[in-house]
Amino acid sequence: MGLFRYTIFRLLQAIPVLIGISIITFALANLAPGDPVRLMLQGQEVDEELIRTIEARYGLDQPVHVRYWNYMTGLVQGDLGYSIHRRRPVADLMLERAGPTLLLVLSAYVFALATAIPLGVLAAKRRNKPADHVSRIVALVGVSTPSFWIGIMLIIVFAVQLGVLPSAGLVYPWQPPEAAGHSGYIEHWIESIRHLILPMIALGTLQMATLMRVERTQMIESLQQEYVTLARAYGVPERTILRKHAFRSAQLPIITIVGLNLSTALGGAVLIETVFAINGMGRLFIEAIQQLDYQLVMGITMVLGAIFVIGVVITDISYAYIDPRVTYGDRE
Amino acid sequence: MATTESQLEDQEPGAHAEGDTADEAVETRVGWRYTLAKVRRDATARIGFYIVAIVLFIAAFAAVDSNLSRLTFGAVSDYAAAEALPIFDHPTRMPPPGEGNPNQPPAFLDGGTLSSPLGTDPQGRDYFTRVIYGSQVSVSVGIFSTAIGLIGGTIIGSVAGYYGGRIDDVLMRAVETLYAIPPLVLIIVFIVFISGGSPDIRFAVVGVGLTFIPVFARIIRSRVLSVREMDYIEAARAAGVKDRNIIRRHVIPNSFAPVMVYATLQIGVTILIVAGLSFLGYGAQPPTPDWGEMLRIAHGRYMHSNIWLSIWPGLAILVTIMGFNLFGDGLQDALDPRIKE
Repeated sequence: MGLFRYTIFRLLQAIPVLIGISIITFALANLAPGDPVRLMLQGQEVDEELIRTIEARYGLDQPVHVRYWNYMTGLVQGDLGYSIHRRRPVADLMLERAGPTLLLVLSAYVFALATAIPLGVLAAKRRNKPADHVSRIVALVGVSTPSFWIGIMLIIVFAVQLGVLPSAGLVYPWQPPEAAGHSGYIEHWIESIRHLILPMIALGTLQMATLMRVERTQMIESLQQEYVTLARAYGVPERTILRKHAFRSAQLPIITIVGLNLSTALGGAVLIETVFAINGMGRLFIEAIQQLDYQLVMGITMVLGAIFVIGVVITDISYAYIDPRVTYGDRE
Repeated sequence: MATTESQLEDQEPGAHAEGDTADEAVETRVGWRYTLAKVRRDATARIGFYIVAIVLFIAAFAAVDSNLSRLTFGAVSDYAAAEALPIFDHPTRMPPPGEGNPNQPPAFLDGGTLSSPLGTDPQGRDYFTRVIYGSQVSVSVGIFSTAIGLIGGTIIGSVAGYYGGRIDDVLMRAVETLYAIPPLVLIIVFIVFISGGSPDIRFAVVGVGLTFIPVFARIIRSRVLSVREMDYIEAARAAGVKDRNIIRRHVIPNSFAPVMVYATLQIGVTILIVAGLSFLGYGAQPPTPDWGEMLRIAHGRYMHSNIWLSIWPGLAILVTIMGFNLFGDGLQDALDPRIKE
């Protein structure tokens, strides 16, 4: 099977999982007690006739399998449903809030990769020396600390005690500076970076710790390969060996971990957005669930699941493109 | 035929461990002893073991000790009634009026007293007591949730791995689907929709447990794939033992070792997730002293006025999870020595 066919094959494989996600979200929302129309009316006394009219308008009077079919056909056409609670299409509500979350998650990954890769390489190079022990302690503490507590501690130290960084909200670099009350683009961008630093570290620490562990193990393994020994025997300087021979092959598993951890990072964004009062998808999810806004909750769950599935597929495909050793011939 | 089958089943578990056809079983048993010996020699694993042991001890005996030692466990008077209650139903732990000042700093600062070594919370409750009691909620939630994931994952994983083919495909696809939605989001949806909008720690336990089924199923399945090729399985099948009994008596016991390691690590992850749930308000509910719940209150209004409210529960979570991680890592290194230096 060629690369192109492998790509198609992998994309097709994702379809059953996406259908599964839609079934789970639909089932959870339908198992829930209380129906959305009555919730929207918030206990007001209205006659049954009106309720039935509203139900008919949103297709809620249909049997379950018909409603699921309607939901599915909507999804295929990119229609995520209509929030009865907010009286707006779910897709619009989510688009408004997607920017902050993407900014947060991407910057957390940038932070994690920019710290984990050098530290992991250093730890592997100085194996069992102080630098290695320090990196292992950092990794251990990183995987053992709740991200939201890191956020709280960062706020207490840098916002409350030192007063050097803001503790809440984000400034969006894609907005015009006037909207945030800034005089020019330079000030605007500096402000958006200042707002981003603390939440980025809080969300990125767990990723950094996991990636650093993987990077260290992979580097140790690739430094033990025969071609590295051969390069050493030829007198190739250690720096060149690290940079050219060992480094490249050690990076592949990192790509996989980044893809697989996407789901943890998106879940973590819910917590971090709460700690730092950021109006992203995470907050939107919490608001939707508090208001029992079923359609919106279903939409968010569906999109988060889809992002993860697509992320994994992209990881797999890019893996096949980057590493010539990967056989994408038959299954597994 | 019926007698042969039951005879075979009766003697089977012990028999194949000693018989020489059962290489795999012998290996796991020796492996366990060898593993424990290695863990004992590994310094980090030992530290982890001690931390876990201390936390478990505190969680188990805090309630028993609370009315014995006033200095250690702070304001005590109404705890005696609480002890009789099941673990998830702690009432408000409020000292009698006048006994504790609200937001008192820890003992090593000005205004602190030795009777409340970590200070008091906004309602005047002794914070040390609450942090100690928090270990009960966290540890029991961690263990129960992991057990649910372990049992569910073992059943699904062993059935999928043993039968293979279509059953395997369907089960594993279903399980991977659960894996795709961010666990925290899926658990909150589960808790809120199942409980009808009034969350409770019990729903959190079940929800967290369900989301762990995929990982356990996957590990068990990969072990089962190799175990099912063993001669003793073939022998049992030839003797007419029912599939259900083969899975229960031979496949599962012989696939279990790596899963136990994973379960240890998973308890730490569970505590982390439940802390997050409580922090968002979907785990333990207010009067219950839970670390995540305490952080929720501290984050809401007291980050400026009383930073100690944020510090202690977080440190407790950190130390507990670190213990489970160190111990689990040690077990893993002992079982899989490939990467060990």
